[in-house]
Amino acid sequence: MFKVLLFDGGVYRVNELYELVEDLGGFIIQKTQSHTSILVTLVIPEEVREEVEKKSIELGAKLVDIPLGGTEIAVVAPTLGRHHMPHPVCDIAEHLRRYGAITVVMGLARGKGRRSAQISAVEKALINEYDAAVFVLGNFEDCIRNEKVRLFEDIDVPVVVACGPEIKDLPNCKAVVSGVRRRVDRMRRAEEIAKLEEIAKEVSRVVEERRKIIDEDPLFVHPAEIKQRIDELPPVQKSLRPAPVVLHLDGLRVKIPYCEWKTELESMNVYGRKLGEIAQLTDSKLDGSTLIKIFTTSKVASLSLKRGREPSDLQTNAFAKV
Amino acid sequence: MRIEVEGPEKAGNEGYVELFNSILLDLGITRHVEAAKFIIKPSEPLFLVSVKTRLAAGKIRINDIAEVTKTKAGTFINITDENYAPSLLSLLWRMYGRERIEQLSRLEVLCKGIEEDEILELVIDRGEEMKKKILDALWRLLPEGFKIRYELSSESVITIAATEYEMKKEWKELANKLHKEMEELDVQSTAF
Repeated sequence: MFKVLLFDGGVYRVNELYELVEDLGGFIIQKTQSHTSILVTLVIPEEVREEVEKKSIELGAKLVDIPLGGTEIAVVAPTLGRHHMPHPVCDIAEHLRRYGAITVVMGLARGKGRRSAQISAVEKALINEYDAAVFVLGNFEDCIRNEKVRLFEDIDVPVVVACGPEIKDLPNCKAVVSGVRRRVDRMRRAEEIAKLEEIAKEVSRVVEERRKIIDEDPLFVHPAEIKQRIDELPPVQKSLRPAPVVLHLDGLRVKIPYCEWKTELESMNVYGRKLGEIAQLTDSKLDGSTLIKIFTTSKVASLSLKRGREPSDLQTNAFAKV
Repeated sequence: MRIEVEGPEKAGNEGYVELFNSILLDLGITRHVEAAKFIIKPSEPLFLVSVKTRLAAGKIRINDIAEVTKTKAGTFINITDENYAPSLLSLLWRMYGRERIEQLSRLEVLCKGIEEDEILELVIDRGEEMKKKILDALWRLLPEGFKIRYELSSESVITIAATEYEMKKEWKELANKLHKEMEELDVQSTAF
């Protein structure tokens, strides 16, 4: 199983880390340099962690676990109005980023009110593009249990609810974190930060569960491997959008228009196969983005058999190295 | 300040008291509110709130919040207390029209063809100012989807009943009753 870690150290001899990670079958996802210090997000097979840790100590750096690394999470509020934004929605999103996730804050168009609260099919489809969703709801159990539950009824990705009242469980959601009330200021007191930690831990748990399910029938390649290839594309290199390629648990989001780059992306070479053969490319609901869902090894095998290719070709994937 | 909440859920009630306190603090009007009472019925749904304020006595003269000087182009006003900038501007626009009042920057206003003495005689009503701030606080407090409202306002009490679809007659009566109760409330000597 692959592990996403954060290297927090200096630029001196950092190339040695890059080489080691590559030799061990890992990948560098992101580098953020500030003067002489650098943050490197890397993906390595779990088994080789010790060696990377040894190298980090040698370079005088820290290697930190980021349980939500390589995920994109939606934090959903009933509306974009000041009654629901920016607190505590943005505090939650910001805290999840500390755990390595890329977060997106989303306000529903008609999520306000009690009986009138609703979510559209487009909004549901948009939320389903992410790895998990955190719904931030209100102060009264009666409203949440009887009406607001409809908001996450047909969401396929795991849902975590953060709300005020003490609720143990809700239908269609994987975890509930109580004690997050409507507020107009930041969550900065010790007990509020503990609440943010609780949310992050619940989201991490839910994401880990999903990772394990995916690992039962592993993906043909790890999304980070495709990211490395996509990063070389000129439109991605020229893109001014923050994080033009975002990793998901089962694929990637590439922030270049699907209609313009579909053919080029599909014909990209991945271990002797076209990307279009090992993944499904679709137009994202998020404007100007392409969504890539990588097929599992078994699905690629069955597709290969249908096409008349030898399934032994599959051994050339990244998972075979581990 | 005394706040009382009638509602079915303890956590929710406490949440709204905390929220109301933060909003008042945010707007800087905590000490102007004497008492507040909420009646919350989430299952109906009804959100009824009544706020009793301390009477904001007196009027504010332009000299207290701005420097007024005469120039060739007209009377120039430099607002020194920005809290009153919106009220002063709307007062000037109401009195002389937008053509004669030019806002040069955030806190600078040029009044064309208006005498300095005339400007200095203008006053801003503190009570009106306070009422606007209380309404703003209540607007921030009330649940966003509760658009059907029944409002009552007197010199020192503002009461708002809010619901989602239809304002029932009994809720209006409840609002009237609460409004009257708050008007008669003597905060100094009585407890809720």
